[in-house]
Amino acid sequence: MKLIIGGYAQGKLKYVLQNYCLGADSVWEGTLPTGKPAAETLAGEDEAGVSPVVINRFHIWFRERLEAGEAPEAVIREYVTGNPDCIIISDEVGNGIVPVDALEREYRERLGRILVELAQNAEEVVRVICGLGQKIK
Amino acid sequence: MLILITGGSGSGKSSYAESYIDAVSKGMPKYYLATMQVFDEDGRRKVERHRELRKGKGFVTIEQPFSIEEALERMKPGRKSALLECMSNLTANEMFGGSVRVSGKQAADQILQGIGKLQKELEVFVIVTNNVFEDGILYEKSTREYMEALASVNSTLAAMADVVIEVVAGIPVVLKKGEYR
Repeated sequence: MKLIIGGYAQGKLKYVLQNYCLGADSVWEGTLPTGKPAAETLAGEDEAGVSPVVINRFHIWFRERLEAGEAPEAVIREYVTGNPDCIIISDEVGNGIVPVDALEREYRERLGRILVELAQNAEEVVRVICGLGQKIK
Repeated sequence: MLILITGGSGSGKSSYAESYIDAVSKGMPKYYLATMQVFDEDGRRKVERHRELRKGKGFVTIEQPFSIEEALERMKPGRKSALLECMSNLTANEMFGGSVRVSGKQAADQILQGIGKLQKELEVFVIVTNNVFEDGILYEKSTREYMEALASVNSTLAAMADVVIEVVAGIPVVLKKGEYR
Protein backbone atom coordinates (compact mmCIF):
# COMPACT_ATOMS: atom_id res chain seq x y z
CA MET A 1 0.00 0.00 0.00
CA LYS A 2 1.13 3.50 -0.78
CA LEU A 3 -0.10 6.56 1.09
CA ILE A 4 -0.15 10.00 -0.52
CA ILE A 5 -0.99 12.98 1.67
CA GLY A 6 -0.93 16.75 1.43
CA GLY A 7 -3.06 19.88 1.60
CA TYR A 8 -6.09 20.72 -0.50
CA ALA A 9 -5.51 21.00 -4.28
CA GLN A 10 -1.78 20.27 -4.09
CA GLY A 11 -1.76 17.93 -7.07
CA LYS A 12 -1.83 14.60 -5.24
CA LEU A 13 -3.91 12.70 -7.79
CA LYS A 14 -1.89 14.04 -10.71
CA TYR A 15 1.28 13.02 -8.91
CA VAL A 16 -0.05 9.49 -8.45
CA LEU A 17 -1.25 9.05 -12.03
CA GLN A 18 2.04 10.34 -13.45
CA ASN A 19 4.47 8.64 -11.12
CA TYR A 20 2.79 5.26 -11.00
CA CYS A 21 1.74 5.36 -14.69
CA LEU A 22 -1.95 4.89 -14.01
CA GLY A 23 -5.06 5.98 -15.85
CA ALA A 24 -8.19 7.65 -14.52
CA ASP A 25 -9.92 4.26 -14.73
CA SER A 26 -8.05 3.13 -11.63
CA VAL A 27 -9.43 5.96 -9.53
CA TRP A 28 -12.23 5.76 -6.98
CA GLU A 29 -13.47 9.13 -5.75
CA GLY A 30 -14.28 9.34 -2.05
CA THR A 31 -15.29 5.72 -1.82
CA LEU A 32 -13.80 2.28 -1.43
CA PRO A 33 -14.21 0.07 -4.50
CA THR A 34 -17.60 -1.58 -4.46
CA GLY A 35 -18.24 -2.11 -8.16
CA LYS A 36 -16.76 -0.40 -11.17
CA PRO A 37 -14.40 2.58 -10.99
CA ALA A 38 -15.87 6.06 -11.20
CA ALA A 39 -14.28 6.83 -14.55
CA GLU A 40 -14.79 3.40 -15.97
CA THR A 41 -13.41 2.41 -19.34
CA LEU A 42 -14.09 -0.66 -21.43
CA ALA A 43 -10.57 -1.90 -20.97
CA GLY A 44 -10.91 -1.65 -17.20
CA GLU A 45 -13.94 -3.89 -17.10
CA ASP A 46 -13.54 -7.13 -15.20
CA GLU A 47 -9.84 -6.55 -14.97
CA ALA A 48 -9.74 -5.53 -11.35
CA GLY A 49 -6.36 -6.50 -9.94
CA VAL A 50 -4.50 -5.71 -13.15
CA SER A 51 -3.69 -2.15 -12.14
CA PRO A 52 -3.73 -1.04 -8.52
CA VAL A 53 -6.80 0.67 -7.14
CA VAL A 54 -6.41 4.36 -6.32
CA ILE A 55 -8.67 5.64 -3.56
CA ASN A 56 -8.80 9.41 -4.02
CA ARG A 57 -10.28 11.73 -1.36
CA PHE A 58 -9.99 9.11 1.35
CA HIS A 59 -10.72 11.85 3.90
CA ILE A 60 -14.18 12.46 2.40
CA TRP A 61 -15.07 8.78 2.66
CA PHE A 62 -13.75 8.72 6.23
CA ARG A 63 -15.70 11.81 7.24
CA GLU A 64 -18.95 10.50 5.79
CA ARG A 65 -18.56 7.28 7.78
CA LEU A 66 -17.89 9.26 10.97
CA GLU A 67 -20.95 11.42 10.36
CA ALA A 68 -22.99 8.24 9.98
CA GLY A 69 -21.67 7.07 13.36
CA GLU A 70 -19.70 4.19 11.86
CA ALA A 71 -16.15 3.01 12.60
CA PRO A 72 -14.25 3.56 9.33
CA GLU A 73 -10.92 2.53 10.88
CA ALA A 74 -11.90 -1.15 10.96
CA VAL A 75 -13.23 -1.01 7.39
CA ILE A 76 -10.10 0.50 5.88
CA ARG A 77 -7.82 -1.83 7.85
CA GLU A 78 -9.67 -4.80 6.42
CA TYR A 79 -9.67 -3.34 2.92
CA VAL A 80 -5.90 -2.73 2.95
CA THR A 81 -5.23 -6.24 4.25
CA GLY A 82 -7.19 -7.68 1.33
CA ASN A 83 -5.79 -5.18 -1.20
CA PRO A 84 -2.13 -4.66 -0.34
CA ASP A 85 -1.43 -2.99 -3.72
CA CYS A 86 -3.84 -0.10 -3.29
CA ILE A 87 -2.88 3.58 -3.30
CA ILE A 88 -4.64 5.84 -0.79
CA ILE A 89 -4.77 9.61 -1.31
CA SER A 90 -5.90 11.83 1.55
CA ASP A 91 -5.94 15.50 2.44
CA GLU A 92 -4.12 16.47 5.61
CA VAL A 93 -6.60 18.36 7.78
CA GLY A 94 -4.92 18.56 11.17
CA ASN A 95 -2.83 21.70 10.66
CA GLY A 96 -5.30 24.24 11.99
CA ILE A 97 -6.86 25.80 15.05
CA VAL A 98 -8.58 23.07 17.06
CA PRO A 99 -12.28 23.50 16.21
CA VAL A 100 -14.94 24.21 18.82
CA ASP A 101 -17.36 21.76 17.19
CA ALA A 102 -16.97 18.25 18.65
CA LEU A 103 -17.47 16.36 15.36
CA GLU A 104 -14.97 18.58 13.55
CA ARG A 105 -12.47 17.94 16.31
CA GLU A 106 -13.09 14.21 16.23
CA TYR A 107 -12.74 14.17 12.44
CA ARG A 108 -9.29 15.81 12.59
CA GLU A 109 -8.06 13.60 15.41
CA ARG A 110 -9.33 10.32 14.04
CA LEU A 111 -8.32 10.99 10.44
CA GLY A 112 -4.87 11.99 11.72
CA ARG A 113 -4.51 8.81 13.73
CA ILE A 114 -5.65 6.47 10.97
CA LEU A 115 -3.18 8.18 8.63
CA VAL A 116 -0.41 7.56 11.18
CA GLU A 117 -1.42 3.90 11.24
CA LEU A 118 -1.69 3.61 7.46
CA ALA A 119 1.72 5.32 7.13
CA GLN A 120 3.22 2.78 9.52
CA ASN A 121 2.03 -0.07 7.33
CA ALA A 122 2.69 1.60 3.99
CA GLU A 123 5.63 0.64 1.79
CA GLU A 124 5.81 4.27 0.65
CA VAL A 125 4.52 7.59 2.00
CA VAL A 126 4.63 10.72 -0.14
CA ARG A 127 3.65 14.24 0.91
CA VAL A 128 2.69 16.42 -2.05
CA ILE A 129 3.20 20.19 -1.86
CA CYS A 130 2.84 22.50 -4.89
CA GLY A 131 2.58 19.41 -7.06
CA LEU A 132 5.96 18.15 -5.85
CA GLY A 133 6.18 14.81 -4.15
CA GLN A 134 8.33 14.62 -1.03
CA LYS A 135 8.92 10.97 -0.28
CA ILE A 136 8.95 10.76 3.51
CA LYS A 137 8.98 6.98 3.72
CA MET B 1 20.14 20.46 23.93
CA LEU B 2 16.84 21.90 22.75
CA ILE B 3 14.54 19.96 20.43
CA LEU B 4 11.36 21.41 18.93
CA ILE B 5 8.74 19.02 17.60
CA THR B 6 5.78 20.31 15.61
CA GLY B 7 2.80 18.73 13.83
CA GLY B 8 -0.97 18.93 13.49
CA SER B 9 -3.84 17.27 15.38
CA GLY B 10 -3.50 13.51 15.38
CA SER B 11 -0.12 13.69 13.59
CA GLY B 12 1.55 11.42 16.14
CA LYS B 13 3.82 14.23 17.43
CA SER B 14 3.34 13.36 21.12
CA SER B 15 4.17 9.74 20.81
CA TYR B 16 7.18 10.59 18.64
CA ALA B 17 8.36 13.22 21.17
CA GLU B 18 8.10 10.68 23.98
CA SER B 19 10.17 8.09 22.20
CA TYR B 20 12.67 10.79 21.18
CA ILE B 21 13.33 11.97 24.72
CA ASP B 22 13.47 8.38 25.87
CA ALA B 23 16.20 7.64 23.33
CA VAL B 24 18.37 10.67 24.13
CA SER B 25 18.07 10.98 27.90
CA LYS B 26 19.34 7.62 29.06
CA GLY B 27 19.92 7.44 32.78
CA MET B 28 18.55 10.90 33.52
CA PRO B 29 15.33 11.65 35.36
CA LYS B 30 12.68 12.66 32.81
CA TYR B 31 10.07 15.26 33.64
CA TYR B 32 6.84 15.70 31.73
CA LEU B 33 5.60 19.28 31.85
CA ALA B 34 1.86 19.06 31.31
CA THR B 35 0.22 22.34 30.30
CA MET B 36 -3.34 21.35 29.56
CA GLN B 37 -6.14 22.61 31.76
CA VAL B 38 -9.11 20.31 32.01
CA PHE B 39 -12.53 21.95 31.66
CA ASP B 40 -14.76 19.19 30.32
CA GLU B 41 -15.17 15.51 29.49
CA ASP B 42 -13.36 15.94 26.19
CA GLY B 43 -10.32 17.41 27.93
CA ARG B 44 -10.39 14.70 30.56
CA ARG B 45 -10.37 12.00 27.86
CA LYS B 46 -7.46 13.68 26.13
CA VAL B 47 -5.39 13.88 29.31
CA GLU B 48 -6.28 10.26 30.11
CA ARG B 49 -5.18 9.11 26.65
CA HIS B 50 -1.85 10.90 27.01
CA ARG B 51 -1.31 9.44 30.49
CA GLU B 52 -1.96 5.99 29.08
CA LEU B 53 0.57 6.62 26.28
CA ARG B 54 3.20 7.74 28.82
CA LYS B 55 2.66 4.86 31.20
CA GLY B 56 5.74 2.83 31.95
CA LYS B 57 8.02 5.33 30.20
CA GLY B 58 9.37 6.65 33.49
CA PHE B 59 8.18 10.27 33.38
CA VAL B 60 7.65 12.38 36.48
CA THR B 61 4.65 14.56 35.62
CA ILE B 62 4.52 18.21 36.65
CA GLU B 63 1.24 20.02 35.98
CA GLN B 64 2.25 23.50 34.90
CA PRO B 65 -0.45 25.27 32.86
CA PHE B 66 1.02 28.75 33.63
CA SER B 67 4.44 30.25 34.43
CA ILE B 68 6.36 27.32 33.01
CA GLU B 69 9.64 28.26 34.79
CA GLU B 70 8.01 27.43 38.14
CA ALA B 71 8.28 23.76 37.20
CA LEU B 72 11.97 24.08 38.17
CA GLU B 73 10.99 24.34 41.83
CA ARG B 74 9.66 20.80 41.66
CA MET B 75 12.69 19.24 39.97
CA LYS B 76 15.57 17.59 41.77
CA PRO B 77 19.08 18.99 41.38
CA GLY B 78 21.45 17.22 38.98
CA ARG B 79 21.24 16.08 35.38
CA LYS B 80 17.73 15.97 34.00
CA SER B 81 15.59 16.15 30.90
CA ALA B 82 12.08 17.41 30.28
CA LEU B 83 9.33 17.15 27.71
CA LEU B 84 6.95 20.11 27.51
CA GLU B 85 3.57 19.42 25.98
CA CYS B 86 2.23 21.50 24.43
CA MET B 87 3.22 25.06 23.53
CA SER B 88 -0.21 25.76 21.98
CA ASN B 89 -1.92 25.12 25.33
CA LEU B 90 0.63 27.08 27.31
CA THR B 91 0.24 30.09 25.01
CA ALA B 92 -3.57 29.95 25.19
CA ASN B 93 -3.45 29.63 28.99
CA GLU B 94 -1.10 32.58 29.40
CA MET B 95 -3.25 34.77 27.14
CA PHE B 96 -6.79 33.76 28.04
CA GLY B 97 -6.63 31.54 31.12
CA GLY B 98 -5.82 33.99 33.89
CA SER B 99 -7.98 36.55 35.68
CA VAL B 100 -6.79 39.25 33.25
CA ARG B 101 -6.44 38.94 29.50
CA VAL B 102 -2.75 39.13 28.56
CA SER B 103 -1.64 40.41 25.14
CA GLY B 104 -0.09 37.96 22.70
CA LYS B 105 3.19 39.83 22.74
CA GLN B 106 3.39 39.84 26.53
CA ALA B 107 2.46 36.14 26.73
CA ALA B 108 5.11 35.22 24.14
CA ASP B 109 7.82 37.21 25.97
CA GLN B 110 6.90 35.64 29.28
CA ILE B 111 6.93 32.11 27.85
CA LEU B 112 10.28 32.59 26.13
CA GLN B 113 11.82 33.94 29.34
CA GLY B 114 10.53 30.91 31.22
CA ILE B 115 11.85 28.55 28.56
CA GLY B 116 15.27 30.24 28.77
CA LYS B 117 15.41 29.60 32.52
CA LEU B 118 14.41 25.96 32.09
CA GLN B 119 16.85 25.42 29.25
CA LYS B 120 19.77 26.46 31.48
CA GLU B 121 18.95 23.69 33.96
CA LEU B 122 18.01 20.92 31.56
CA GLU B 123 20.44 18.71 29.68
CA VAL B 124 17.77 17.71 27.19
CA PHE B 125 14.66 19.81 26.64
CA VAL B 126 12.04 18.63 24.17
CA ILE B 127 9.20 21.02 23.39
CA VAL B 128 6.09 19.93 21.50
CA THR B 129 4.20 22.60 19.62
CA ASN B 130 1.30 22.60 17.22
CA ASN B 131 0.94 23.60 13.60
CA VAL B 132 -2.36 25.52 13.76
CA PHE B 133 -1.59 27.75 10.80
CA GLU B 134 -2.78 26.00 7.68
CA ASP B 135 -6.56 25.70 7.70
CA GLY B 136 -7.10 28.79 5.54
CA ILE B 137 -9.72 30.24 7.87
CA LEU B 138 -9.53 33.95 8.68
CA TYR B 139 -10.29 33.96 12.39
CA GLU B 140 -11.47 36.92 14.46
CA LYS B 141 -9.00 39.29 16.05
CA SER B 142 -8.20 37.56 19.34
CA THR B 143 -7.65 34.18 17.69
CA ARG B 144 -5.34 35.82 15.14
CA GLU B 145 -3.45 37.47 17.98
CA TYR B 146 -3.11 34.03 19.58
CA MET B 147 -1.88 32.50 16.30
CA GLU B 148 0.66 35.27 15.87
CA ALA B 149 1.90 34.83 19.45
CA LEU B 150 2.28 31.06 19.01
CA ALA B 151 3.96 31.56 15.64
CA SER B 152 6.47 33.96 17.15
CA VAL B 153 7.21 31.58 20.04
CA ASN B 154 7.63 28.75 17.53
CA SER B 155 10.02 30.71 15.32
CA THR B 156 12.13 31.88 18.25
CA LEU B 157 12.30 28.35 19.65
CA ALA B 158 13.20 26.94 16.22
CA ALA B 159 16.05 29.47 15.96
CA MET B 160 17.32 28.47 19.42
CA ALA B 161 16.83 24.73 18.89
CA ASP B 162 19.50 22.23 17.93
CA VAL B 163 16.95 20.04 16.19
CA VAL B 164 13.52 20.86 14.73
CA ILE B 165 11.27 18.06 13.53
CA GLU B 166 7.85 18.10 11.93
CA VAL B 167 5.85 14.92 12.45
CA VAL B 168 3.71 14.01 9.43
CA ALA B 169 1.46 10.95 9.72
CA GLY B 170 3.76 9.71 12.49
CA ILE B 171 6.86 10.15 10.31
CA PRO B 172 9.59 12.55 11.44
CA VAL B 173 10.56 15.10 8.79
CA VAL B 174 13.70 16.95 9.82
CA LEU B 175 13.43 20.74 9.40
CA LYS B 176 16.65 21.61 11.19
CA LYS B 177 19.41 19.19 11.84
CA GLY B 178 21.64 19.12 14.86
CA GLU B 179 23.60 16.54 16.75
CA TYR B 180 20.99 13.77 16.89
CA ARG B 181 19.11 12.00 14.05
